[in-house]
Amino acid sequence: MKTLFTGALAALAFTAAPALAEYPEKEIQGIIQWGAGGSTDTVMRAVTPHAEEMLGGKVVMQNMTGGVGAIAVKFASAQDADGYTLLMGAENPLLYKVMGLGDIDYSSFVPVNVIARGVPILVANNDAPFDTLEEMVAYIQENPNEVKFGSTGPGGLPSVVTAMLQSEIELTVTAVPYDGDGPALTALQGGAIDVMPAVLGASIEAIKAGRIKPLALIDTQANEALPDVPPITEAYPAFETYLPWGPFFGVFVKEGTPDDVVAKLSEAYAAGVENADFQQLMDDRGFQVMNISGDEAQEFLDKWQSVTSWLVYDAGIAKASPEEFDIPRPE
Amino acid sequence: MTEALQFFLISWLDLKLLGLVALGTFAGIYVGAIPGLSVTMAVSILISFTFAWDVYPALCLMVGIYMGGVYGGSRTAILLNIPGAPSAIATALDGYPLAQKGQAGEAIGLSTVMSFVGGFIGIGVLAVAAPFVSEFALTFQPRDYMLLAILGILLVGSLSGESLLKGVFAGALGLLIGAVGLDPLTAEERFTFGMVELWGGISFIAVMIGLFGVSEALTQLHHIDKAAVKQTIGRIVPSWRAVGKYLPLSLQTSSIGVIIGALPGTGGDIAALMAYDHAKRVTKKPEVPFGEGAAEGLVAPETANNAAVGGAFIPMLTLGIPGDAVTAIIIGAMFIHGLNPGPMLMIEQPQMFWFITGALVLANIFMLIFGLTGIRLFTKIVEMPRAVLIPLILLLSIVGAYAVNNSITDVYWMLLFGAFGYLLKTYGYQVGPVILGVILSRLIDENWRRAIISEQEDLGRLFMGIFTSPLSLVLFGAVVFIFISQTPLWTGLRARFGTARARGDGV
Repeated sequence: MKTLFTGALAALAFTAAPALAEYPEKEIQGIIQWGAGGSTDTVMRAVTPHAEEMLGGKVVMQNMTGGVGAIAVKFASAQDADGYTLLMGAENPLLYKVMGLGDIDYSSFVPVNVIARGVPILVANNDAPFDTLEEMVAYIQENPNEVKFGSTGPGGLPSVVTAMLQSEIELTVTAVPYDGDGPALTALQGGAIDVMPAVLGASIEAIKAGRIKPLALIDTQANEALPDVPPITEAYPAFETYLPWGPFFGVFVKEGTPDDVVAKLSEAYAAGVENADFQQLMDDRGFQVMNISGDEAQEFLDKWQSVTSWLVYDAGIAKASPEEFDIPRPE
Repeated sequence: MTEALQFFLISWLDLKLLGLVALGTFAGIYVGAIPGLSVTMAVSILISFTFAWDVYPALCLMVGIYMGGVYGGSRTAILLNIPGAPSAIATALDGYPLAQKGQAGEAIGLSTVMSFVGGFIGIGVLAVAAPFVSEFALTFQPRDYMLLAILGILLVGSLSGESLLKGVFAGALGLLIGAVGLDPLTAEERFTFGMVELWGGISFIAVMIGLFGVSEALTQLHHIDKAAVKQTIGRIVPSWRAVGKYLPLSLQTSSIGVIIGALPGTGGDIAALMAYDHAKRVTKKPEVPFGEGAAEGLVAPETANNAAVGGAFIPMLTLGIPGDAVTAIIIGAMFIHGLNPGPMLMIEQPQMFWFITGALVLANIFMLIFGLTGIRLFTKIVEMPRAVLIPLILLLSIVGAYAVNNSITDVYWMLLFGAFGYLLKTYGYQVGPVILGVILSRLIDENWRRAIISEQEDLGRLFMGIFTSPLSLVLFGAVVFIFISQTPLWTGLRARFGTARARGDGV
């Protein structure tokens, strides 16, 4: 019914307006890479209405899940480069090549806006026999394989953070995979796993309520939301080379989209992110607003891909070397 | 307490909110009744739609749709043998035979009242024992989910009809269908033959619509000229005596519904099937045998799936953990509206808890009213000539399959499984176990692997874990007991030693 209506409307717009009319002359399709109710979904559905005001058009959002997000990316890259299909995604596509999940990543797209970044944090079950990162490291080194780390599959945030830790510290742990950070954090509260590398936003409510305990932020500085939790670099300065690092959310269009269309979309989303309600939502969920576009966004994406690809490759969980795709090793 | 009551009554006293709950429930019943139009989908569309609204009206609409939708699935299950939603699969087993006997009106009446009873029990548990139940749900370890899934697989025994062997085959096939796609834990491709279209797996809803909807339409073609069953609409609302008679059973099946609903990762579909199996086990002498229109076979799934609604809200409101897919979306909506669902919600915003509880009760009442008033019109559907009815079923099936993911591939899958389901039925295989297999496939697969990985891939440690945890031990005992009770060994033992001794052996 809705599709029919959209179709009718699109047809109407098409016949009514000549080709030179100003963008957007019809509804824009927004493809959300992850499921309804998840972080990406929440962020996109919250920011887009504000961007629509500036854009003067309607963005119809649709969740297209599956294949670690690869299905949505593949779909968006198969559409015309006319700015009428937006890909609303997270960081995962930048790892598709090295993880063997397809040959399309954000290099086939132009960033409209990299909206925000999440801060990773190491949290533990309240009954775990350690309260700080150093105590955890000491305990794991005495009891190899006994401590269970939550994971969300190879290439997911927990696997990258674990790989990052293991690149500097000797840690032999058992990684137990879950469907996403939500189910894993639930398992952490129930004691099915002992430690979880999670996003601050997803775990903050449980931390504030004292249901799980924070060990360290995987960042270079403390966070306003949880001022008492030390950044990892306090105890292990060596991690500075990898940081700041974290998952992010962005809006993309296919490469080859006319520059004026990209500019108009970027302008609209930049204004949308500035909205006070949206900023409040990001603060509440513990996300760092980035609001970058153009070359700045591209630079951020390139650095992210380089750092993370090599981390997962060196940890032995990648299927192909970043070299094959001309991804340079970070300096 | 008076404060709680005040929050509880917000949606009752505001005419606009009251109207929105009513509207949501009404829409939910029809969304739920159409196969493929799911509550999950309706609620996620509502998020964008209600973005600019205040949080109360938005929640009212969502709660109404959720409650109405879970109930609505039973309509088409009873009338056409096509469950409108996965949670109504078990309802079709005895509901459809009743419609075939011309008792569709009574069947819908009973299912409506029982959904209402189940819904109330679910909400009641939410209101009085939410913190306790959510702590209990958290204690479920991967091995417990695994045992629960195995318990679910054993339901094949209840669903396979005349031949257990054929049922086991159909169940195994379902497990296989569920395994297609990227491995959820490692993202390896499984049975995808290199096709990206298969990465996301085969849509479970498409399989369900095909196996039930299309195959039913094809089967009916055999007697296209036979006159439709004339429905006698006598008493729609079941008598107090009847409700009283099923009350003990509905208390048990509602408890199953609340617990399964409260567990993150399992929902109304599994709850309804387990409740059906439970009813079959405890009802010693049904007036009509199960599968031929037993009232108990209708009462059990309908109470359980509506009780699961209240159950699903328990971990959501107390801990910010969704109990099922719909509550996951409602959590997202609450974030957008500036609330922070989590363990602090109950402390910082107690009004939300009581407000939602109040709206749920209201939705449950509207469900009863709307459910009982439209019956005469609805039963006319079965009296339609088959030449009209069959194309209508096919049309609804195609629309439904497409609507789930806006994917034409799903429509092809649906048609393929429709033809396949027809063949299964023709050769005496039931389609129920196939769906059961698909539903449980991921649950069993993921949790078995999680459980064994957690124990450093050591079977000895896994069994140590099972035998040292009371919860796991109870579940393990239930698995062994149900398994043995379905083998010839059990009948032999019962004949020789009596029930008590054999149960001792089982545990």
